[in-house]
Amino acid sequence: MASAQKSTKSTVTDQQVASEFTSYYLGRVTQEFAEDLDKVRAADDFKNDAIQLLVNALQQGTALFSPEEQRRIVTAEAAAAVEKPTST
Amino acid sequence: MGKRFSQGGDAAGAPRKRQRIVHEAPTSEDILASRQLKALLSFDQDPVRARHGLQSFKVYLDVLLQGGDGHEERFTVLTDYLESTRPWGSAAIGSGNGNGNGNGNGNGNDEDEGEDENQIYLPEIMKTWSHYAQLGNDNIMSAVPVALALLLKLLSQNLELVPFGLGICRTLLQKRQLELISRNLTADKGKAFIISPTLRMLKEAMCFDGGAVARPIFRARASTLKALARNMGIVHIGDEDEQTAKRPSARTNAVSFLLSALKFLHPEAKREILFQRDIVSALTRDIKQDPPYLVAEILNGLRDHVLLDDKVSREAKSSLLGAATLVRISSLYYYRQPAVDESNLPSIADLAHDFLMTACTTPSCGVLRQDTGLYPRETDPDAALPSAELDELGLEAIVWMNRFKTEVPVRNFVLSNFMPNLRPWSSIKQNELVTSIFRVAPELVADFFIHNKSFTFEPKLSTTWIGYAAFLFNTVTLPIPASFCRGPAFPELPPPTSIVIDNILPLPLNQKALVRCLAHKSKMIAFFATRILVIAIEKVDVAVRMHQDPSHLNKALWAEAGRRLVDEFCQRSPGIKDMINSYRSISEEDILHREAASRLLRLYYEVIPQVALMAKFDVSPFLETALGRLSKQQLEDPKDLALSLKELENLLTIAGYSPGMRWFTASEGLTLSPFTILLKVYVDAPHGVALTKVRQVLNFVAVEQQLVPAHAGHPRLLPLLESLQSIKQSSPKLMGDIWPFLDNCLTRCATAPIKYLESMQDAIQGLAESTDEGFSEAVVSPITMAMLEQLPFVAKATDKGVLKALGHFLPKFLSLSAAAGESAPLLDDLFTKMSAHFVKGLKKASVTSVPAEMGPKDGQDGLATRVLVPSQKDNSAGENITDEALQILLEVSENLAADNSALVKWTNKTVDELVDEGYTTSLIALLVSEHASIRKEALINILKVAAKLKLSDYEEKDQIWLLLSELAETAKSHVDDGALPSPIVAFAWHALKVLRDPLSSLYPKVNAFLTRGPVWTLDRLPLVDEILTEEPSVGDSYYAQLNWLLSYLLDSLRTPQDLELFHKKRVRGPLLERLLALANNSYMRLPLRTQVMRVVYRATGIAGGSTTLVTRFGIVNWLEAQRLGTKDAKEAGMYKALLRRIWSTCDQEKVLKWGGKGVEALC
Repeated sequence: MASAQKSTKSTVTDQQVASEFTSYYLGRVTQEFAEDLDKVRAADDFKNDAIQLLVNALQQGTALFSPEEQRRIVTAEAAAAVEKPTST
Repeated sequence: MGKRFSQGGDAAGAPRKRQRIVHEAPTSEDILASRQLKALLSFDQDPVRARHGLQSFKVYLDVLLQGGDGHEERFTVLTDYLESTRPWGSAAIGSGNGNGNGNGNGNGNDEDEGEDENQIYLPEIMKTWSHYAQLGNDNIMSAVPVALALLLKLLSQNLELVPFGLGICRTLLQKRQLELISRNLTADKGKAFIISPTLRMLKEAMCFDGGAVARPIFRARASTLKALARNMGIVHIGDEDEQTAKRPSARTNAVSFLLSALKFLHPEAKREILFQRDIVSALTRDIKQDPPYLVAEILNGLRDHVLLDDKVSREAKSSLLGAATLVRISSLYYYRQPAVDESNLPSIADLAHDFLMTACTTPSCGVLRQDTGLYPRETDPDAALPSAELDELGLEAIVWMNRFKTEVPVRNFVLSNFMPNLRPWSSIKQNELVTSIFRVAPELVADFFIHNKSFTFEPKLSTTWIGYAAFLFNTVTLPIPASFCRGPAFPELPPPTSIVIDNILPLPLNQKALVRCLAHKSKMIAFFATRILVIAIEKVDVAVRMHQDPSHLNKALWAEAGRRLVDEFCQRSPGIKDMINSYRSISEEDILHREAASRLLRLYYEVIPQVALMAKFDVSPFLETALGRLSKQQLEDPKDLALSLKELENLLTIAGYSPGMRWFTASEGLTLSPFTILLKVYVDAPHGVALTKVRQVLNFVAVEQQLVPAHAGHPRLLPLLESLQSIKQSSPKLMGDIWPFLDNCLTRCATAPIKYLESMQDAIQGLAESTDEGFSEAVVSPITMAMLEQLPFVAKATDKGVLKALGHFLPKFLSLSAAAGESAPLLDDLFTKMSAHFVKGLKKASVTSVPAEMGPKDGQDGLATRVLVPSQKDNSAGENITDEALQILLEVSENLAADNSALVKWTNKTVDELVDEGYTTSLIALLVSEHASIRKEALINILKVAAKLKLSDYEEKDQIWLLLSELAETAKSHVDDGALPSPIVAFAWHALKVLRDPLSSLYPKVNAFLTRGPVWTLDRLPLVDEILTEEPSVGDSYYAQLNWLLSYLLDSLRTPQDLELFHKKRVRGPLLERLLALANNSYMRLPLRTQVMRVVYRATGIAGGSTTLVTRFGIVNWLEAQRLGTKDAKEAGMYKALLRRIWSTCDQEKVLKWGGKGVEALC
């Protein structure tokens, strides 16, 4: 398990971590604020490029998390997946 | 009488009345021979025939330019014609005597033109042009430049014909032709059909042969650039497209000509053109109405040949890029372009964005000026103010300190005027542009928001508000300029507080708006505001730290500015109560929002504790809720769990700041206390989720509440955590029974720790009496005593499930406690007592079988023995010890950690305190400091201590004086060269402790060593041989001495230089080899073997240590052999984990080369 864990850590580059975290963050944020996002879509000033603006604004929040914090959250899944066969 | 033909619509004598213009289509014929061509182009009095000839020539050139069948024959016809018209004395075609050398800068052929300048190429055509221009025949005035433009284009493609082309270009620059050009260019605006071909012809001439005649064309600018600005304003009505519009407008041609001039002209000429305001202005005035290809050409041309040309002066660039030009280019952000563009070319909006990014953020482009960070233009941050005035008035002594609240003078006035025209809230690109400008010119942040007051941050769920929030977020994220002024050091005076706060929380982010955002019914608005506040508070932290920098000369003044900054921040940011209310209102499933809000609260506690604590926020209920949620394991996605743990960590940190956290009181609705729930969260978390913070808090609370001993070196809650995790893995069903029991014990222990400490003392005393041995230093955790106390109540209960679960848990816990260093005999004794309760409890329930682990002990087979020698089957793979656990087990804090305060602390202490309370050892440790001054100070102080000792009545004063003097003597000659080798210092450190106690078994050996000589050899480790090979001088004290030696060697291994001493070749072999051999002694007990492992572990932390261990000492085989040799699963696990650690820290490439895949396989 330990070696599997190590390989998980070493194979995921910082860039992968950042992009995986961004997609997780966006998924999470759209889930939590689905209702509000619908309202924004219905507002008068919602034009073609507004989607891009919205996505950009939402994903800014990833800056709150340091690269280490992002890695911790992203690799939690891999670590848990490694964990499962051992615990069963 | 024949009918009179009109001489053309614009004939000189024609009435000036507006006539209906009828464009007669010109006629043409195929050209088959050069003679025919010559005849067609020869001067003809008949305008129709003249036009016919020129039109035939144009069609012929068009066909030639397109290529295709018969191209060569046609080309020969043309060449023959050109040859036949060649002026007398000029170079023959193909003779290679021309000037066509492809000089790209257009300055190479100037000197040669003297002999050619009067030669007229294509004289017949020029004559036709001149003649009909005098007659005002528009059609021929247009037809000549049309044909010449095409001819030049064709000639530029053929190297042999280049000299002829150059001849034509020079002919055009003769006075007569220049007048014709000038006349053509100044034709009425409606006559674009004359203007356009002329411009096209000029452009071809400008580009010809890599700009060979660019310079003379510029010299004739009175004609060639005539009416250029006006002509750049002549556009087609309606849309113009590159593909569909066959005839580009005069503007398009004029712009192309200008851009080719900027491309081929020399910097001075460019400068002159760029200073012509009408031209520069005409170039961009209506740029948003230009066709896409022209806009692209303009932007790319200006960027490549002006902005990025270092030879063009800043002033010239500034003249081009005034605020008006920038505004016009920024209008291209809204350029309408067909949505579907099959080519992969960037859109006009992208091109404009790239252009503006380059223009506005590159200092050499002439727009951006160097500012002084957060100090406005009119301030002098290094002004020397009278110190008396500063002392008396503080910040008020600085006249400009409060001046910039409504107006900020800036150096970047062009950008300041330009930026209000941008709409960063409605476009990502404009957002990026403005924030990039802010990044390179921080002075503009405050200025921008002061001038954009109309746009408020009042919450409204709309795209515009979100865009504005995103823009503000980006602005707040920008770093504070280094030293506030972008200089290498802080100036004398602090920056104006209003400017600093405007950079941290820009003006729209005022308290009122932010409070409304946090309390808004739309949770997304609250989320956005929270995120901005998180970034802002982190930024204010940085700013305050910068105010507190030790390098400030006037610390009081800067400190006052720092305080004022915090005050301003508190006035602009919402109060902590608003933040708490906002956090409270977030629903449970919104973990991202909860994390952000809890992070904000934590940061408030960390950065502005004085304000945060005033709110008297009780974090307990929030912590309990978070713990409850986590312990229920409702989150399926491990990422969500990791995110929730972040929230928990934030709350735990707040709990650390706020007093009155009730760790051991279970509130309503919860069956366990918060502490036990936190323990449960730790144990239940999937492997790989980082829990360092949670463990730290658990250990901290456990020590605070005296659940575990507080002395250094105790593993805290590690045995408990490990045993719980182990049970959870092997038999998770039992956990449900263990938690309530554990919670009960923990709560009792926390409520009355003294009681359990006393019961531990009683147990020690009882054990000492029964065995006649001294256990004065024996230690077990009070929590263990609480478990012993509570076990009888569990045994009495009718439900035996808990007792059975404890039958698994307690032996595990006790054995791990023993392995972690608690007193094995005492634990053995407690275990016996526990066993009795088990037997009693289980017999009562008529259970015949007693859990195997808890059976009554027989003979000498006590717990400690079982800890060390468990059954063989447990040992097959060894226990799985995580890297974290290994670190806790094997990492020991350094005794030689340098504490510079030791230099002054000792001065007022008595001699007893100096020796017994560690003041002298702290001084000794400073000899490994990396700073020479500290080492020297330490050396002097050691000598002073020695002198003080010598004069005192301290019993062991002579020996200690000798030790300190020898150490000083050894250090004296090396103190300048660097830190003293750690073994020397570590020896002195440990020897001092021996000398304090004459009963120590090492006392004779240390004294013998000290009397041997006044100076120690630096590359030898004192006393190692004496202990390892000689008989112990006092009775059976070999292992005690070994223990001392290993502790001292552990402290001796800190740096790569120390490691060298460990593997240096010696008479009896390298030291490290001897230590590894030592551990093979089967009589040696686990604690000593653990010490050896600690030495190995310490070596793995040193650069190159692991690689040396593998390649020089065969550590992989040694660890493997040790692992197979031991019968203790825990120990085997340690060896395994250590092997893993070595593999992960060594130079794997080198090791693979050295040992092939075998090593990796073992690891």
